[in-house]
Amino acid sequence: MLKVENLSLYQEQTQVLCGLDVAFKPGEFWAIIGANGVGKSTLLQTLAGIHPEYQGQISIDGHHLQSLDPLSRARRIGFLMQEQEASLAFSVREAVGMGRYPWRTDKNQDQTISTAALEWCQITHLAERSILKLSGGERRKVEIATCLAQQSRYLLLDEPLNHLDLVYRHHILKEFKTLSQTHAVVMVCHDLEAVRTHCSHVLMLFGNDCYLSGTSATILTAENKQRLFNESSREP
Amino acid sequence: MTLIRQLWFWCALLAITLVVALLSGSVSVPLTDAFNVNAPHFEIIWQLRWPRALNAMMVGSALAVAGLLIQNLVKNPLADPYLLGISGGAATVQLLIIVLAVGLSPTSLFFSGFIGSLLATGLLFKLSFQGQLRPDKITLNGVVLAFGFAAIISFVLATASGQQIKSMMFWLMGDLSFAEPNVLMPIIMTGLLLLLYRHHRALDILARGNLFAIKSGVDAHRINLMVFVITALLTSMAVAQAGTIGFVGLIIPHLVRLMCGYQHRHLIPMCVLVGATFLLAADTLARTVMSPLQLPVGIFTALIGVPVFLWLNRKV
Repeated sequence: MLKVENLSLYQEQTQVLCGLDVAFKPGEFWAIIGANGVGKSTLLQTLAGIHPEYQGQISIDGHHLQSLDPLSRARRIGFLMQEQEASLAFSVREAVGMGRYPWRTDKNQDQTISTAALEWCQITHLAERSILKLSGGERRKVEIATCLAQQSRYLLLDEPLNHLDLVYRHHILKEFKTLSQTHAVVMVCHDLEAVRTHCSHVLMLFGNDCYLSGTSATILTAENKQRLFNESSREP
Repeated sequence: MTLIRQLWFWCALLAITLVVALLSGSVSVPLTDAFNVNAPHFEIIWQLRWPRALNAMMVGSALAVAGLLIQNLVKNPLADPYLLGISGGAATVQLLIIVLAVGLSPTSLFFSGFIGSLLATGLLFKLSFQGQLRPDKITLNGVVLAFGFAAIISFVLATASGQQIKSMMFWLMGDLSFAEPNVLMPIIMTGLLLLLYRHHRALDILARGNLFAIKSGVDAHRINLMVFVITALLTSMAVAQAGTIGFVGLIIPHLVRLMCGYQHRHLIPMCVLVGATFLLAADTLARTVMSPLQLPVGIFTALIGVPVFLWLNRKV
């Protein structure tokens, strides 16, 4: 269980989240929704260990996040960043293989798992291409495959559907749903329709200490959606 | 398998270059003299040319690997090892030593250079450290520091006497003839390279960005620190040993990437071999082309490197 208790987060000295309590369990497919700048990405980045400073408690399977060394943290938590920084011309296979870093398993096993991740994302045909010569959507698929190769039980996905075409979105959402039977999948998403059809749980952020969390059915009511819309359109 | 073949190819090329370097110079020596203690040129080979060739190879390897590391650390293809202000720091202290004529033995120059470079790196580190090492700050701070040192060096040159200037200029352009064989450097270098090689996968991942590395389980803070220290040590040794030899640290890593891709598993050993071969060849040319006159080696690193690089880059 990835458990967050009384969590407060800051972005450039301004508080973005305050007093958040939520727990993500394997078997659940969570969506985090909320307006731009409300702290969705900051939350995921903090859970993935990128922001070491926060107030409150974060525990993974009973271990405090801060007490885990980077390798054991990465074995438990996989994170898909919203935007991947530009980089050198690694091949797709090499890039996906980087997901195996935390495991220190032997080469053959790494190969098998990377190949499976490539197939899962339907990019086997791109394996030998340079990651700099891909389209935006193809690169997104490579990043998703890298995350999957990491084989962590908790998958944090920051807007995984960005750059993906409609057909592929449908495919990947179905796959995430299947995956969430054994894993905890948490995704930031702006597509309420997709959330309604695929996600089991929703965390709706309104800013600061205002949030709602629970099963999709209880959170995605017309009233809450209206509130989200009002908060989003309000001048900051 | 192509990597193995490439490694063998460069080992062979290095061996050939080494033989040529030992046998050619102001006196050409037949190969048989190298193994005959009583031959007239035995001492020329083993007491003059061999230490110098060894220096060239070590300095070349050190600069190439340092360049590879610094480009990866600051994520900037234009970075070279001297970005850390190391050459400026070393040169400043060494030139001051020459001016004050405290002692001109190669050993004292080596140590003054080493101390100068460590001081400069320490300053840069202090300026670029905010809770953790900030690679983004290193680039600008390093460039600005280098200008500061350049000003001091120009000042020293402008006020120095004619005889001093000649030895200083030679040193500033890089010079392998000055250094004595140094036992410590190969030992330290081997240690550093092995340590580095152990982390080759982390280095690959860091090439894709610090955040990506952290989320992939790399202890980015620690590895960046290690890379900074190793780069500083390698460059300091190279600079203390041979002065500021340009071009090797900037271009050899690019050359090697064009030849064997982006994985540090390949890049590190290849940089060692190609850097060594390249500088040894350049130094051999520098001392034979107009022999007995010796030219600064920096001229030849660029004269060979520029066309080779442009030719390789044309295919990409």
